[in-house]
Amino acid sequence: MSLLEVRDLKKHFPIRTGVLKRTTGHVYAVDGVSFDVEKGETMGLVGESGGGKSTVGRTVLRLTEATGGAVTFEGVDVMKASRSEMNALRRDMQIVFQDPYASLNPRMRVRDIVGEALKIHKIGTESEQKKRVQELLETVGLNAEHAERYPHEFSGGQRQRIGIARALSLNPKLIVLDEPVSALDVSIRAQVLNLLEDLQDEFDLTYLFVSHDLSVVKHISDRVAVMYLGKLVEVSDSAVLYDQPQHPYTEALLSAVPIPDPHTERSRKRIVLEGDVPSPANPPAGCVFHPRCPRAQEICTTAMPALASTGDAGARHEAACYFPARFPGGQRTIASEPFEGSLAVTSP
Amino acid sequence: MAERLLDISDLSTYFFTHAGVVKAVNGVSFTLHRGETIGIVGESGSGKTVAALSLMGLIPDPPGKVVEGTLLLGDRDLRTMSDDEMRGVRGNDIAMIFQDPMTSLNPVMKVGKQIAEAIVLHQSKSKREAWRMAGELLARVGMPDADKRVDQYPFEFSGGMRQRAMIAMAISCNPDVLIADEPTTALDVTIQAQIIDVMREMQAQFDSGVILITHDLGVIAEISDKVMVMYGGRTVEYGPVDEIFYNAHHPYTWGLLASLPRLDATEKARLTPIKGQPPNLITLPEGCPFTARCPHRRPECRDQWPKSEIVGPEHGVNCWIPKDERVALRAELPHFKEPAA
Repeated sequence: MSLLEVRDLKKHFPIRTGVLKRTTGHVYAVDGVSFDVEKGETMGLVGESGGGKSTVGRTVLRLTEATGGAVTFEGVDVMKASRSEMNALRRDMQIVFQDPYASLNPRMRVRDIVGEALKIHKIGTESEQKKRVQELLETVGLNAEHAERYPHEFSGGQRQRIGIARALSLNPKLIVLDEPVSALDVSIRAQVLNLLEDLQDEFDLTYLFVSHDLSVVKHISDRVAVMYLGKLVEVSDSAVLYDQPQHPYTEALLSAVPIPDPHTERSRKRIVLEGDVPSPANPPAGCVFHPRCPRAQEICTTAMPALASTGDAGARHEAACYFPARFPGGQRTIASEPFEGSLAVTSP
Repeated sequence: MAERLLDISDLSTYFFTHAGVVKAVNGVSFTLHRGETIGIVGESGSGKTVAALSLMGLIPDPPGKVVEGTLLLGDRDLRTMSDDEMRGVRGNDIAMIFQDPMTSLNPVMKVGKQIAEAIVLHQSKSKREAWRMAGELLARVGMPDADKRVDQYPFEFSGGMRQRAMIAMAISCNPDVLIADEPTTALDVTIQAQIIDVMREMQAQFDSGVILITHDLGVIAEISDKVMVMYGGRTVEYGPVDEIFYNAHHPYTWGLLASLPRLDATEKARLTPIKGQPPNLITLPEGCPFTARCPHRRPECRDQWPKSEIVGPEHGVNCWIPKDERVALRAELPHFKEPAA
């Protein structure tokens, strides 16, 4: 059993218009996403803005209620958990947010920010809580004296450490990291990434790491899931994905990242995708990527292909494409077994 | 040698605040030639944007002031120009593209009108003619349905389209110098690739000089000819792009390159961050601003700013460590990479 199992997760935000606030449509932020996260591993969730990756992170924690699908954490159905069950689950599942300026209450002292969860869950006496907060601050590379200060006295990198200390306070098993280093400068980003790796080793943590930065995700993840317009288009072991991307979106995404090496840059071929990401309120019929896809054909406009194994021996590598890189001629249209099921899946 | 467009020497821009004097830019020099792209790289607060705004005459005064330096555009000194003359320069000779295309476009004015505004102002065209040119410019920067888009408002545009509109506006008067301040930072990577392409094409067409400000060393490697590395308001190292990436001489440049997670990494190695926190710009030392975080600092670093030392073709570095010691230190860095032959 995996630590976290996500099955056919859906989150559709209603679009309400007019005086009566009638629902006139939906934003299909997350639309049928399934993946597993094993204990102790880091699952990276990448994609561009509007892809739905942050929504997946928040829905898994029930910070927003899902529209459909199931999330199972250690065998417990998170979606159906009662209030008290949810309380217990929250001790095991925590989150670190992107913006270290917006995610810390400016009127609270660091000790109250980091110790708040201990108070809520009534863990330890007051002096034990105080000691725990000091320990936590030292664990994340701050000083015990910092407990009495306010967030504005810290730099961006230090604030993110405070956010991490808060997430660690209840000894969680899973931490959702929602773009945790995107707001930080490169030299500080490396400090925080190293800290996250150290903490993972020390406390046996499992991470769901949400980011738009493919280099960061490659560095930190064991496995990576690529999202586009609310769908997972490719899931794989990190090394295999970056080495042999199968979905054309993953290929384009990887080729678009400039590499800090002038010689490499001059000799690289870049796939430049045309156009913009369509609105998730009105996703294209068929494969959501087909309007921008360099390999799109007739069949791509009919139905979204399901994730299916790419045939990498030993790697858990799946792509949702009729014409993956390995079979650009559309080999998978002949291999009908995993494919036929997918035809039943129609776009909303 | 290509025509010299800009010759900046000893530019210093300070901000006089209640808390103290912020030396945002401190003695920065560079030259820009026709057809050349200079990348200015540095972290937040390194002074890269303030340097660009100083050239444009856009430093809010008070509290800011260009306190020193000669800023030559051709043979005209930007610092001695009147406000009227500066208005003639902005847009016409030097144009700027900003990071956030949403806040730098007027939300209540049609995009076409915003582009036409500059054309009417600088090229004494009629409004009708300027409007027609605005449509053409949008088409030129690859805007889909340009003739329809020209009649729309910025909110109807995606981020990438807004940045295209900004570029159209910037090139409308065929400027010699184009300053792009983090032009792709707010964009997704696939859109970033599109915008970089457009910028390249425009530069080739107009043969302008480009100053590209970014914190992204990948973007720098992709499109710069020369690189200026800034830290705490100072230029710590300056040189051709290959020199900076393969023959870096400043410990800060080494630190930057080593702290990057890389897409081209073949094995999982631990990152080497730069220790410490970004500097407080009010309490910067007289000497090298990187002193406090530099693993190789020595007694003289804090108090005196070193002279620029030439270490390669057009490659200068400001560092107190003697050259051969630097080369020895560098050879021991785990991430140091000799250039591929």
